[in-house]
Parts: sequence; C-alpha cells; structure tokens
Amino acid sequence: MSALQTNRSTARDLLHPKVLAGLKNLDLVARSVVEGVMIGLHRSPAFGFSQEFAEYRAYNEGDDPRFIDWNVFARTERMYIKRFLGDTNSHLMILLDTSASMGFGGPPVSKLRYGKFLAASLAFLAARQHDAVGCMIFDEEVRDYRPPSSRAGKLQGVLHCIDGAEATTGTKFDKPFQKFSEQISRRGLVAVISDFYCDTETLLASVSPLAWQGQDVVLFQVLDQQELDPEFDSNVLLEDLETGEAIEVAPQFMREAYPQRIRDHIDALQKAAMSIGADHVLVNTSDSLDQALRNYLLFRQRRK
Amino acid sequence: MALLAPLFLLGALAIGLPFWLHRLKTQSSVRQPFSSAMLLESSEQQVHLQKKLKYFVLLALRVALLVLLVLAFAKPVFYHSPGVLAGEVSGTHLILVDTSVSMSRAGVFSQAIGAARRAIDAVPNDALLQVLSADGSLHLASDLSGEKQAHRAALSTLSVSALHLDLGDMMKSVDRLAESLPAPVTLHVISDFQASAMPVRFSDLVSSRIPELIPYVVGTGTPFNWSVEYVRETATGLDVALSGYGDRERVADVELVLNGAVIESRGLSVTGPQVIQFAKPEYAEGDNQLAIRIITDDDLQADNERFHIIEKTPPIEVPLITYASEGLPVTYLSAALESASGDAFVVQTLVAGQFDLRVLSRYTWAVVDDISSVDAELSAALIDFLQGGGSVLAFAGQRAFELETLPVSGHRHSPTNVDIDGNQFLSVGQVDSGHPLLSQTEGWHNVNVSRSMPVEVLDGDKVLIRLENNEPFLIERRFGEGRLLLVLGGLNNRWNDFPVHPVFVSFIIETARYLSGTHDISKMHTAGDTLSLAQVGSVSGQVVDPDGNRVLSLADTTREQQIKLNKPGFYTVYTTEKEVSIAVNIDALESDLQTISQEVLDRWQDATAGQDPAVAVAGSRVPDQEPVPTELWHWLLLLLALVIIGESVLGNTYLNPRRAEQG
Repeated sequence: MSALQTNRSTARDLLHPKVLAGLKNLDLVARSVVEGVMIGLHRSPAFGFSQEFAEYRAYNEGDDPRFIDWNVFARTERMYIKRFLGDTNSHLMILLDTSASMGFGGPPVSKLRYGKFLAASLAFLAARQHDAVGCMIFDEEVRDYRPPSSRAGKLQGVLHCIDGAEATTGTKFDKPFQKFSEQISRRGLVAVISDFYCDTETLLASVSPLAWQGQDVVLFQVLDQQELDPEFDSNVLLEDLETGEAIEVAPQFMREAYPQRIRDHIDALQKAAMSIGADHVLVNTSDSLDQALRNYLLFRQRRK
Repeated sequence: MALLAPLFLLGALAIGLPFWLHRLKTQSSVRQPFSSAMLLESSEQQVHLQKKLKYFVLLALRVALLVLLVLAFAKPVFYHSPGVLAGEVSGTHLILVDTSVSMSRAGVFSQAIGAARRAIDAVPNDALLQVLSADGSLHLASDLSGEKQAHRAALSTLSVSALHLDLGDMMKSVDRLAESLPAPVTLHVISDFQASAMPVRFSDLVSSRIPELIPYVVGTGTPFNWSVEYVRETATGLDVALSGYGDRERVADVELVLNGAVIESRGLSVTGPQVIQFAKPEYAEGDNQLAIRIITDDDLQADNERFHIIEKTPPIEVPLITYASEGLPVTYLSAALESASGDAFVVQTLVAGQFDLRVLSRYTWAVVDDISSVDAELSAALIDFLQGGGSVLAFAGQRAFELETLPVSGHRHSPTNVDIDGNQFLSVGQVDSGHPLLSQTEGWHNVNVSRSMPVEVLDGDKVLIRLENNEPFLIERRFGEGRLLLVLGGLNNRWNDFPVHPVFVSFIIETARYLSGTHDISKMHTAGDTLSLAQVGSVSGQVVDPDGNRVLSLADTTREQQIKLNKPGFYTVYTTEKEVSIAVNIDALESDLQTISQEVLDRWQDATAGQDPAVAVAGSRVPDQEPVPTELWHWLLLLLALVIIGESVLGNTYLNPRRAEQG
C-alpha cells in the first residue's frame, strides 16, 4: 500500500509544470502526464476507460453490417448491432491557439507551452483508447491542420504538429473555426485550448456552429497566475503582446480592479459556453496538468 | 551679440529637449509585456501627475542648465551706474601720470605711481575718477567711474615709454577730454616736470575747462645726465657731440659701435658739452648701423646710446645724350645732377652719333637734352631702351617746332597752338604735387616760359605740369616697362628761365631718384615718428623692430602701412626690392632733466585756477552718465557649474531606485 502511494505521489510530482518544463520531448511529456493521470484514476472504478461493451441495438437499415453481432444472430436469428463505449466519441480534435498572447507567462512555462503539454496529453490519452486524434494550430489563420486519425503512427504526427507551434500574431476565432467546421464531418470531441482574450459574443459566433454540428466542445482557458492575480509594486507600462498597444497602469488598479475584470471575463465565457452546451475548463499554468485532464475525463464521462 | 540673434534663438530651442525627455520619462520607464490589454485600463493621468511632481525639480534644473549655457555664450552684460549717481557727482578728478622717457630715472616712476595712488585715495567718494598717462600722446588707462579699486589697478598697467612729453600738447588733449566730463574737473599731474617739456607759449598750458591743477613733482634733486647730441660724418671721420647735463663730475667711456661691433672706445673725464672726433671707419656697402654708446652711471640711462645710419652706395652713372657736349644744357644738367648729396650721381656725357647705342642697356635711365635732334637710329634705340624697362628724361629742343611729330614720344603739334610771342611770358599753372616726383619740389610758379612746344596729349599721358594757358609742360608717358618724362621746353635760356631757378636742381635730383629707383627717405627718426612703407619705395614689406620682432602681421605686409617708431634703435625694413635700416633715437629734449621752477609751476596753477568758473562749468556739461557694463558670463559659468552638480546629484537620486527595481 505504502509502495503504491509512493508510486502515485512520484507520478503526480511528474505532472507539475516545473517538472514537465524540463522534458524536451513532448511525447515523453504526454506519456508522463497520462500515466500519472491513469494511476490516479485507478482509485475510482467509475471511470472505466476502454473499448468496453455498451449495448446491443437492433439493426436498422443503413447501419454498417460489419458491426452486426453474428453470434446473437445465430442464436436468435435477429440482427443486432453491438455498440462499445468508445463509439460515442470516436475522435478528438484539438484546436490550439498560438496567438502572441499565448506566449505570455512563466517561468517555468508559458501559456503556449502549457497548452502544448495539455494538447499532447489529450492526444496521447485519446490515442491510448484508440480514439482518432487530430489537431489544428491556429491564430488568425489556420497554421497547421492534422485530420483525426486512429491509425498507428498518426499520434506522432499530431504531437509533432503541436510541438512545432509558435506564438505569433493575434487571435481570430471566426476564420479558423469556419474552416474547421468545413473540414470536420463526424461528430466528436473538440478541445479548444486558448486564453480566450476575445469578446464572448465573437467567440460564441465562432463556436456555436460546432455545437450545432453536434460536436462536443470543451474550452480549455489557459491563464497564467500573473494574469489571474497580478502583482505590481509600481506603475508599469504594459504592452499588449498582440497589438503592441502600451497602457500605463497603476499598481492599485492591478490589485483591485483588474482581478475583478478577469473574473467577470471568465464568468462570461463560462456562461457563453454553457449556453451552447460546451464545457469550460479554466487552467492555471501554475497548477499540475492532471487537474485539467481530470476535468476533461469528467466531462467525457458526462457525455456518455 | 544680441540675445535675439538667430544663433541664440536657435540655442534657446534646446530648452525643449529636457521637456521632451521628461515627457518620455512620464510614460513610465518600466515597460513589460502583457498577454492582452483588453481588460486593462490606462491610469496615465495619475502617473503623469506623480511623475511630473516627482521630476519637476530635475526638469527645472535641466532647463536652467541650458538657459545658463545659452546665456553664458551670449556674454550678457549688466549695466549699472558707475559707482556714483549722476546727480550726486561732485566733480571729476583726472589722475595723469607722465610716462615719458625722463620718468625712467631710477625710482622716479615708482614715486609717480605712489603719488598717483595717494591722489586716488584723496579723491572724495562722490567724485568720478579716471587715470590717464601721457607721453607723445594722451592714453586712457581706466574708464571714468567712482570705483577707486579699478583705478588703482589701472596704475599697475602703466609703464615708461621712449617718447617725449610736451606739456602743451598734453594740456590740449586733456582740455578736449574734459569737455565731456562732469564739472568741475580737477587735474592731478604726476610728472618730473622737465623744463624741456614746456610749450613755446605759456598759454598752451592753461585749459579753459579745468579749474584746478594739482601738480605732483617727482624726481627732484640735482640729476646728472650724459647724452649724445648728434653724430656728423665729416671728410676725415666722425664728429660726435656729447652733452653733460648737471654740475656733477661723472667719468664715462664712449664706444663707437659699427654694425654691432665695437670699433673704438674712448674715456671722458670732463663734464659738459664737447665734440669727440673719431677716425673714419671702414664702411660696408649699403646702410651702416652706427651707434655711439656712453657707458656711465648717470641718472638717465635711456639716452646713453644714439643710433645713426651711414649710407654707402656707389654713385649712379647717368648718361646724358647730347649733340653739343659743350652746350648750356649739358652744363645745367651736369651741375644739377652732381649736386645731389653723397655724390649719388655721376654724369656720363654721350654725344649722339659717337657712341655705341648698345651701351644704353647698362643704364637704368638716361637724359636727352634735345629730343627733337634725335635721329632715327637713336630714336629706335631709345624706344627699345624704354620698352626694355629703362627711363628717359627728355627736353624738347629748338628743332621741335620744325617737326610735325616728336621722335621717341610720338607727340604731334597741337593744332590749337598759338605761339607765344617772345615778349610775353607764361607761368606754371598747375602742378601735380601729389606725384612723388614733384612732391619735394617748390618754386615752379617762379618759372617764366616765353616759348613752349604745345603738343596733343596722347592716351596714357599723365600731364604733371601745365602752363597757365593749360598747355602741358611736363608729361609722363609709359613705354612698355619704362617711362618717359618729357619737358616741353628746351634748356636754352631763350625759351624759359627754368634752368636758372632753384627748382630746376631739385627737379633734376628728384627725377634722378625717381627714375633710378633710389627715392630718398629719411633714415633718421625720433621715437614717436611714423614711417610709411611708401617712403621706402614700396607699398608693402615687413618691418623688424630693434628687439628683433616683426611689426607687421602677415596680412599687413601686403598693404600700405604706417609704422609707429616707438622704440629707440635700428628698425629694418624689408621690401621686395631692398633692405633699409632706420635709426630711431629718443627725443633729445628728454635728456635735459632740469625741472620747471617752482615759480613757473605756481604760475601755471594760478593761471588754471584763475579761469572763469562759469566758463569752465559751461564748457564741461554734465553728461548723461553712461551706465558701466559688467560682464556676467563668469558668474553664469559658476552658476552653471552649481546647476550641473545639483542636476547630477538629483538625477542620481532618482536613478538609484530605478536601478534597484530593474535589478
């Protein structure tokens, strides 16, 4: 028992951003995270996560005959379709925002780096359960796109795509999301990793079509501790990483007014997500990754 | 330069620099990247207020620094009243110190300065003061003001010169100066009051604008002084006249120095005027610098040396071209030329047709007693001679009337000519006295002309003398590099009486010097004289004073200059053509150290005090006192240094926390 606890605590320590920042290989990061999360999951049997049998459903015209359970047909001469748990959300699309604002944060890791860890972990987690995994790197445009695939070796391509992302310019959700909705046809899980520094109405306009397509959308809002609770002792000239606009702010404003504004923004985003049936997960880059993955799995479980 | 000058206005624009810098500073020095400014709100107003308040003193110091820098370059002056206000002036006191040669006697000048200092101290505080010095002229040593300290300082700038003081000239200058000074003007004269400084007329000592004279006599006692009165060249040697002023017996040695080397020394045992004869030394060719030096311990050392120039040049041969070697013209011309001092010229009579024309090239100039008799061959030779740079003095002889055109010169008879009857005489009407040839000649108007040779004046002719009927009598015409002087009259007594007048001799000698380039200059001067380089025969050159210093700057050497000869000794004038030595001696009047008697001095004072005060006051109106300018730039620089220190300290104070924050 004590050996198991030690093993768990070591695995959890590995999930901390400080530790992950030292790992150069994103694959290794993802593997470490997922293994750590999986160890934690064994404590809760409710979170079964494999190709498990879910139900039998009568065959309807149009169903793929490959999924007919012929054994049942032999016994009952009725055709039933065998369904598995994984069949409900059979692919995961990760949309990673690489706008300049994502480059903010640290040490030890910037928001983008943390987002990469998160994206890689999600991809690894999904691949582990044989889900098709794809990704899209975007800022104002779609910078890279990997369609979802469950084929062996595709995960490395996805991880490579995520690893190569660099914080560049501004953020615009409408154009990349429109392109994404045109590309994707199957229903699945869409994880959007961004800091969501945008107008909630604009975001809703971009994300709503995905929800209407039947995609299960989860919004991972990645924020740095300095954004959530900034600490400035003196007047400071803050320069917007995306627009270059410089605004001089007083420490008093940053202590009192700004935290309230960011909270209001997060709440507004949360409400907007709820309004379209999406989920919103706030991720603090100073927290360990397992919390984010745990939220994801809970969300997935709820979708079953 | 005025402060409104464009350059300073431009400099004043630099004041905007600290404002601009501080404006940037208020933007905040700490610039940090932030993910998004979407949720931020600018608090710039508050920050500006804080920054401005924080750096206001620094900004003010920086602006002050630039303003002071601009002002320091502008050299502003502060005008203030000169010590006492115009309405409170009780009068003017002029402190005049004699700086003539005689004041160089041992201890006399320091006595004079001490007396002047005491005179300044004794002047009432509500009076204006001015320190003057006088030698050959009057000099202002200080500005008119009531600040005694400045006047005391001005005394230290005075020194004894080598010039002679004439008390009459001094009083004239002081009288003119007093015209513009607040009355009443009191003149304090500190001098040794030499008797030789007295003017010819006693009235010249009295100024109508000076109601009070206070003399301070220095150098009293019974002085003794040796001096050299003159040096005269005789046929056998040199006569040197010595004077011994005073009744004391003083032995002395006399040295004869030629071109820097002592060639003879002789002892003196008898005091008093005497003439010493020296054997004729061996002179070098050119200017010989001769100095007579008295070695003694008399009271005035400055006049113990006299400088003299002895010029030794070979006589210049002058060819006299004639057809009649025994005629009157030859006699007149030869006599005139050979009368020049120092045997400067020797006449060579050349009878036309009997000499080789090529010999003309050996001479610088020639005389033709009758140009109308010149044949074609000689005419061509003379023209060649003129074209080649030679000069010719020619007279129109008797045959001139028989010719339509004069040989050599090419002048034609004037068609408007009316021959003068032999019974009528014309005088000289106009003489170009500005011409160097005629500036030294006098008596032209005594010349009577009964017959002249009227000619048409050609282009390029310069008519130097015209008769009273306006006909030319003397023409100068340039021929190539040479020049022709044509006298339109013969040397025959039937035409005019020119050769028998004294002006003929001076004209011939001046012409000889003019055409041969040996223009006579005075090589003996008294200290204070002015030497014009034009007198040396050149408009430009360099002058080296007795101390070996160049008198003229490089730029001045190309211009005509008047050189003030203020130092006793030998000046050397270098021109493009020659080197000339000039001897300058102290005025002999300074050697006599006998002072004005007390009686004369009292009379002078009485005569001055006896002036009608109304006249004196009316003559010297109270002028609007011009404010005295005081330069402020050195105070501005001091203030600037303080501001720089303050700015550095304050700026460093502001900088430290920022470094700490950045660290």
